Amino acid sequence: MTSPHPHLGIRDLLQTIMPPRLCALCHDARAILKRPKTGQQICKECFFWVFETEVHNTITEAKLFKPGDRVAIGASGGKDSTVLAHVMKTLNDRYEYGLELFLLSIDEGITGYRDDSLETVKRNQQQYDMPLKILSYDELYGWTMDAIVSQIGKKNNCTFCGVFRRQALDRGAASLHVDHIVTGHNADDIAETVLMNIMRGDIARLGRCTLICTQGEDTIKRSKPFKYAYEKEIVMYAYFKKLDYFSTECIYSPDAYRGHARAFLKDLEAARPSAIIDIIHSGEMFEVKEEVKATQKSQKTCKRCGYMSSNELCKACTLLEGLERGMAAAAVTERARKKLDAEGPAPESLRTIPFFQQSRGPHPSVALERPT
Amino acid sequence: MSCGNPAVEGDALMPRRKKYDKTKFCVKCKEAQGSIVIRHAVYCKDCFSPLITHKFRRGLEPSVNQKADGPRRTALKPDGNLLVGFSGGLGSTVLLDLVHRCYVSMDQSTMPSDGGKNHPRHEKVWNRVTVCYVEISGAFPAMRDRTPDVEQYVATYEGLDFVSLRLQDAFDPNWWNAVHASSDDQRFAADMTSEELRLSKLASTSTSTPLQSLHSYLASLPTATAVPTAIETLVRVLLLHTALQTDSSHLVLGTSLTSLAVSLISGVSQGRGYNLKEEMQEEWMPDAEVANLRSEQEQTSHDTKERRSARDGRRKGYVRVVRPLRDVGRKECALWARWRDVTIIGKEPWPWSGAKQGIGALTREFITGLEKDYPSTVSTIVRTCTKVEPKGESAGLCALCARPMQEGLQEWKSRISIRSRDASHDTPPSASASLTPHLCYACHITLTSRSSRPAPSLGLTPPALSDVPLPVWVGSGMPRSAKLSEQQMKEVVQDFLLEDT
Ligand SMILES: [Zn+2]
Ligand SMILES: [Zn+2]
Ligand SMILES: [Zn+2]
Ligand SMILES: [Zn+2]
Repeated sequence: MTSPHPHLGIRDLLQTIMPPRLCALCHDARAILKRPKTGQQICKECFFWVFETEVHNTITEAKLFKPGDRVAIGASGGKDSTVLAHVMKTLNDRYEYGLELFLLSIDEGITGYRDDSLETVKRNQQQYDMPLKILSYDELYGWTMDAIVSQIGKKNNCTFCGVFRRQALDRGAASLHVDHIVTGHNADDIAETVLMNIMRGDIARLGRCTLICTQGEDTIKRSKPFKYAYEKEIVMYAYFKKLDYFSTECIYSPDAYRGHARAFLKDLEAARPSAIIDIIHSGEMFEVKEEVKATQKSQKTCKRCGYMSSNELCKACTLLEGLERGMAAAAVTERARKKLDAEGPAPESLRTIPFFQQSRGPHPSVALERPT
Repeated sequence: MSCGNPAVEGDALMPRRKKYDKTKFCVKCKEAQGSIVIRHAVYCKDCFSPLITHKFRRGLEPSVNQKADGPRRTALKPDGNLLVGFSGGLGSTVLLDLVHRCYVSMDQSTMPSDGGKNHPRHEKVWNRVTVCYVEISGAFPAMRDRTPDVEQYVATYEGLDFVSLRLQDAFDPNWWNAVHASSDDQRFAADMTSEELRLSKLASTSTSTPLQSLHSYLASLPTATAVPTAIETLVRVLLLHTALQTDSSHLVLGTSLTSLAVSLISGVSQGRGYNLKEEMQEEWMPDAEVANLRSEQEQTSHDTKERRSARDGRRKGYVRVVRPLRDVGRKECALWARWRDVTIIGKEPWPWSGAKQGIGALTREFITGLEKDYPSTVSTIVRTCTKVEPKGESAGLCALCARPMQEGLQEWKSRISIRSRDASHDTPPSASASLTPHLCYACHITLTSRSSRPAPSLGLTPPALSDVPLPVWVGSGMPRSAKLSEQQMKEVVQDFLLEDT
């Protein structure tokens, strides 16, 4: 019996049987990756194109920016914010958004984690040619995360960190006179938060967690351009673009309950990769009933630091007072808070957060580290 | 984000399980020693039963009258009969027992103690109570048909009617004709390999049996998640139409608090956020009825009333789906069964290796695990979901699951996950050529979303068909506009036609 292609080598033969798979998007180049979000096999260039275009679609559909906006990118040195900085710069140039971009970093004071990742941010500052502002917990609250953990232990530390970071970002942004902070929250983060908020009954946050852009009365807009971007694709993008990022996970592990939710989401994604987007879709398809909204606490400002708050004292001030008075659980449970109140008013000498004032002047009031 | 805790904005704490001493006294009578802890409260055996019947009545009776109940003492006057969905599992068995005690055998111990003998709640509420069982063994060749067992079991309760269906009835034109006296609905098949789910008309000469059609349908499903979800949907819609057929205004299901929490989270995880409301309580009207109503609304209101009453005196075809055990946990159901000597025949385990891999099964495992450490989780989930409502107007009912669906789904999908660089691919086929525009988000995901881990084989050998037959109701679910007459089509295109055509 004669072979139909007697002069072909084994490799050619294999190719006639199994031609290299072509990219499902351009039908031209060879597919080199399987897209986690759609399962399509595509080429590298098309991957960059779909990834960036989807973020662009997210931005334009939500009308996030207008020309001339000053936008701070919350930069941690990790993969999400490093890719975000790169994509924001790319899209700003490609589609002429006309944005003035800044990097804003929070130094939580975690030895062996944040000090190293800040070095990455400083390199990003050079690479992307963007001004950088670093604000530390230490300078704002007088406490580093290391110091907090040494007092309260590793339980609930993420609660402290999250509350402090949110306010620190707003304060840093105010000092940069930006209109808008964009953060690297990705689709996985948002899906996880939807599940968490349903499971712990947090109606107020459930209503907002799928919003792409939130704005408190007095604060700066915050948006999540990576709302629909899969974590796996962000890693892929960083890998193929050879981006310089810091990949160590925070040394303080998340709360057990959130850990459960995260593991569950990973199982769901393995069962059906669209689950992440499907959960976000679910979250977008319902809203808090009007009659429930009416019973929610209205937004006030914190009497001590001027930051937005649903109580007399904002979460950060409550946490800080608890730390200062050695009763750190105060902001975490109702009972502990009452105990704190029972011990009388806060002493005059209590260390507090500087008063929050958002000035809208044209020039930043703080010195920026300009790329050199 | 890299901190590993991206969106924490406040207390991420859930109350952990507290220790309770069962020897403490019952919170109700304060005399007997406690025998069971229900959400942080201790009850004795004697006080447990009234508690459960109270929860059951509270879960059902406010929605018995067509108009929401005003004062608690008004008589219960439902618009039709009662249909009980029965699977043989714990929840529906306890439900059946409670329905029988409270409304059929009129067991005095289940009556509210207040108001005396003449309390309106002591009157018979339902003219007829029918139990409906849907046998699903058609989906699994190795599964035993338990219809005779179930029939025998239901017969131990006096005064109930019994109807049994098979999963494949969903593909049986004879069943459909029996339910809907006259039906000229076209039957459809779809190409399940593409996102558009291109539609074709199923030849009336098609020789495949309902069972073969069911097998083709199930074998075409892409994931282990899709199979149980599709079966659940078939069972639900079969029950809804059976409710219509038995003139039942109410369909009750034995969903316990625990299983409700599971189905809510599982629904959210499968993109069913728009239908959380229906997951708890549902007001369903078949498409034909909705269409009738619409055309009636277009008439003058005076005319409407007479026409409505003229329509062979039948009540308006709506079904209210209620889950009266939605406040009763699984543990409480199990104790009711044990203390009241109720036999549970149980559900047959699925002889299929995919049964534990799907999102539904993963959710059940997750929630029951969480419930052990954080007992308030299930009630929190349910409470949270009652505080939200679907966003925006509904764009009609999904052709497959018969639940309200939202608008603009395809635009949303193509914006956030681009599947083509070629703009011409973005224009979807016309509504009459594709099933996709008639499906809700979750049903579309069920039929099309793939995984690198495909569904394990069901061991079915369906006939090789290029197009997969769809459930019989899919034809009626198509809006009339999807079936344009030649005249209508001509009207649409006439501006583009040259003279002489
Ligand atoms: Zn390509
Ligand atoms: Zn404050
Ligand atoms: Zn008692
Ligand atoms: Zn549907």
